[in-house]
Amino acid sequence: MDCGTCDSASPVIMVQPDAVEVNLTMTNKAKEMLEDAFGDDRSHALLVGVLSGGCSGYMYDLQIVESTDLPCQELNIGGFRVLVPSASSHLLDGIEIDYVDRLMGGGFKINNPNAASSCGCGESFS
Amino acid sequence: MGLFQCNASILLISGNDLMTFLDGLSTNQISGPCTAPFTKENAKIIDVCDVIPVGDNIALVGSAEYKDDLVNHLSKRILGRGISITDISHLNDVFIGISPNTVPDGATVHDSTFGWMMICPKSISYRPTWTEEEWSEHRVMNSIPFHGHEITQDRHPYSCGLETLVHPQKGCYIGQEILTRMRTRGKTGKTMHRELNPVENATTVGHTHSLSIKRS
Repeated sequence: MDCGTCDSASPVIMVQPDAVEVNLTMTNKAKEMLEDAFGDDRSHALLVGVLSGGCSGYMYDLQIVESTDLPCQELNIGGFRVLVPSASSHLLDGIEIDYVDRLMGGGFKINNPNAASSCGCGESFS
Repeated sequence: MGLFQCNASILLISGNDLMTFLDGLSTNQISGPCTAPFTKENAKIIDVCDVIPVGDNIALVGSAEYKDDLVNHLSKRILGRGISITDISHLNDVFIGISPNTVPDGATVHDSTFGWMMICPKSISYRPTWTEEEWSEHRVMNSIPFHGHEITQDRHPYSCGLETLVHPQKGCYIGQEILTRMRTRGKTGKTMHRELNPVENATTVGHTHSLSIKRS
């Protein structure tokens, strides 16, 4: 196979959505749970990202990180540092981060006005 | 022995965690060389590609007709992961069929669901040994679906004879909810059939038999 390692092949030009300035809200319950997780330490941040995959095409990705190599927008929500990767900002603008207290399927939930549909478990959306 | 030259596209995918990236988008489990359908949320096919590791990269060999849709599908989901796609279709010819006695230097071979696949740099100028009619006859006699005939974008993998490419245990992928529901309820709708001629609405017509997609 000729893999085009010379100049005869150039990368496909991929149309990537522009980064948008993200507006993000968090319910009081979600803030309480973050307070429990972070304690008094504010050196870490909540990374709210999107990965490809899941039943509907995109999956939410929540992580507590000190820093990240990804180009991010940094927000301050209720005193917490929240990082949103620029590459997925168009999918996350307007979201609300909630916390659902349930024995099954509980935990942080994201209500996303951009999602046309989501899968049954609520972890992926399109 | 015979080889048919396909109207194929070859996309070279480069970057980190490529297997994980592709595995999350396909109905089949991608952990090495395989054939992998990519489906939409409604489980309809975008393209069915042969996945061939090439060094640190992965070549996706699919239908030339669906290349743009596949690129669009993949590129929307890269999301800053540092993955790039290079179209190397114009540099290579793709052949499918039955293995010849010798393989030219520089060719890459792959065991595809559709048969024995060989990808040759155009500089080799390898000539096909099968016409489309001979390839079709081989497909009909062996119940092999193919792009543009049984495999189209208005069908899901179960309806075009690709049920072996829907992994029963792997985790989430696009279209999984629908395909899993179809399988567990035993309602896969239309399926591929091989029958004696004449066959109404045949998708591939052979000398004595034909393939068609219909309800059982």
